[in-house]
Amino acid sequence: MSLAIVGISHRTAPLEVRERFVVDAEQSAQAMRRLASTGCGEAVLLSTCNRTELYMRVAEDHPDAADLAARFLSDHARMAEHDADRYLYTLHDEAAVEHLFRVVASLDSLVIGEAQIQGQVKTAYERATTTDGGFSVGPVLARMFESALRVGGRVRHETRLGTGAASIPSAAMELARKIFGNLKGRRALVLGAGEMSELTVECLRSEGVQQVLVSNRTAARAGEVAARLGATAVPFERMAATLGDVDIVVSATAAPHPVITDAVIAQARVAERKRPLLILDIALPRDVEPEVGAQPNVFLYDIDDLSQVVEGTLERRRSEVSIAEGIIRDGVRDFWQWYRGRNVVPTIRDLRGWAEQVRDAETRRALQSLQHLSAKDQGQVEALTRQLLAKVLHGPTTRLREAAADGRDAHVLEVARYLFGLDDKARNGAGSATERRHDTT
Amino acid sequence: MVTILISSALLLYLVASGVLARSFAGGGDAGPRTGTMVAALGVALHGAALAAFTALHNELPLVGLAPSLATLGFLIGVFLLVTTITNARPVGLVLVPVMAVLAGLALVLGLQPTGEDLAFRGVWFAFHVLAAFIGYAGLTVAFAAGLLYLLQFRELKGKRLGRIFRFFPALPTLDLLGRWSVAIGFATLTLALLLGWGWTVRFQQTLAPGNPQVIWGVITWFAFAAMLGARAWGTAGRERRAALASVIGFTVVVLVYVVLRLSVVAGSVFL
Repeated sequence: MSLAIVGISHRTAPLEVRERFVVDAEQSAQAMRRLASTGCGEAVLLSTCNRTELYMRVAEDHPDAADLAARFLSDHARMAEHDADRYLYTLHDEAAVEHLFRVVASLDSLVIGEAQIQGQVKTAYERATTTDGGFSVGPVLARMFESALRVGGRVRHETRLGTGAASIPSAAMELARKIFGNLKGRRALVLGAGEMSELTVECLRSEGVQQVLVSNRTAARAGEVAARLGATAVPFERMAATLGDVDIVVSATAAPHPVITDAVIAQARVAERKRPLLILDIALPRDVEPEVGAQPNVFLYDIDDLSQVVEGTLERRRSEVSIAEGIIRDGVRDFWQWYRGRNVVPTIRDLRGWAEQVRDAETRRALQSLQHLSAKDQGQVEALTRQLLAKVLHGPTTRLREAAADGRDAHVLEVARYLFGLDDKARNGAGSATERRHDTT
Repeated sequence: MVTILISSALLLYLVASGVLARSFAGGGDAGPRTGTMVAALGVALHGAALAAFTALHNELPLVGLAPSLATLGFLIGVFLLVTTITNARPVGLVLVPVMAVLAGLALVLGLQPTGEDLAFRGVWFAFHVLAAFIGYAGLTVAFAAGLLYLLQFRELKGKRLGRIFRFFPALPTLDLLGRWSVAIGFATLTLALLLGWGWTVRFQQTLAPGNPQVIWGVITWFAFAAMLGARAWGTAGRERRAALASVIGFTVVVLVYVVLRLSVVAGSVFL
């Protein structure tokens, strides 16, 4: 069995291609069932707006399983195979493991350090474990995903990769928090009813802003957005009067000229208010006259200022990448040692089983000629043979595990099985270990 | 024993200052927490040193320059630990070096009792001096909060949004810390002045207006009053005015101390 990933991401495909590959939760269950018939021993499907990836453990006798998975994805995207191949990538074994770890640690994200990916991977993994009784996730993928999530958690805790504002709305909220502290109980006015305004209303709501007012030249549009997002619509003509009562103004209109001028600020009697007023002008061209920012209690920021915050955050995050990569390297190494170590488990079990049979038979025979010994002494002889066996086998067992970790397991296993005649014994029925040679965690 | 404990506290203050400065320079987020924890350990040792001093000399460390500086440094440390409640740990960037300087000066000057026969030893005196020291510790914390407020305000208003913006607490957090420090400092200093005057009036039948300690205390009291006035007066920008008043007030009080110290007649017990 080997590990493989087939997928598409923001690194290989533009949004209009990626969105064709998105698999929703309902489709995911069907996909798992279809994949089971393609030779996938285990599979987890991760689908977000930036990536759709299939993590699989495929049987050695199904070398084309990854191709079949690629076909499955291209079918789902209703895309010709040769077209899909331009965007799809396939990774195997250690590279596949490292990729997952990097994804969970958010090093492979469009915005490095973004927090959502960890939850998305966790959801994808949990969904796979519950699909039809969890047939799609076995011990290997379970361990791989749990290790990846653990490493992702370490990266978040031990580096500054997840800190700071990395998007325009989050930068706006960070600024607001620095000026007002807690945003709970604050009032905000959003000018404009476009996509950016909607996003901002959602952000303000999630920060606990008590009341969000939406104002737009087209009142109906403002009413529609307000109703959908739990805000209150305000007539555009009352904008100046409303300005005096709110703490935060977010302006994102499509107006070709400034909407908030010195005159509007004077009309709103901003200079007389005790509280500061934060104005976030995220429109292009700008909605707010720069002179407005000269008012002592007005904090005015435009899109460039917010970008400055975002860029600062991204720069700091980039400086943390090498630390995160070190943590990932450790995690991948640990997982890979465990994974490779599994190959030697059947041989170790056979070896110990055979040695135990020899010990048991020889001890019984010896004890029959030592009947004069007390039960306590016979017990000590038994214990002595066990200790002896444990000491003798400790070395070979350790060496076998080391060989597996170093990737020399194939040759060393062959030698070990030959030297101890383990395959002969298995064939002769001396031990049933060969039949028990199945996945072990 | 006292010297070992206070030296250990000084070492921890220096380490904490380094952690905070490094965190500020590198934009680290865990720095303020780690720095405050190290400083807290220093404050604990500092407190133990003062307790050991009291036990050893059977005298509270409230008389003489070195013991006074040591006590003041300890009280500022206690204030710093309280700031963790308001999430204003980065003020340690100013306060911990001040604590280190005070502990260092106490060590250099020699943490020994003055041996002077003070007529006014006793509970009354202890309360008077302790209340005054709490007042000065409050003034120092108000200064630190005010300084950080002004720098953060400047950063936000000037749209620089760099290191200071990220590292310093939010404006309301700093304002809250400054407000409480001034309130506590003003109340305790007022109490200290009343206790001192109560004693001099009762036993010396005078308000001792020419006493340097009284002059310094009264000027500090007016500095506090100015800070409260700056907040109460006007509408827009009251918090910023209060922060500015805290910084100016603290500076004036320190300068007045230096002037009084330099001009005081030989043999005076003024700190």
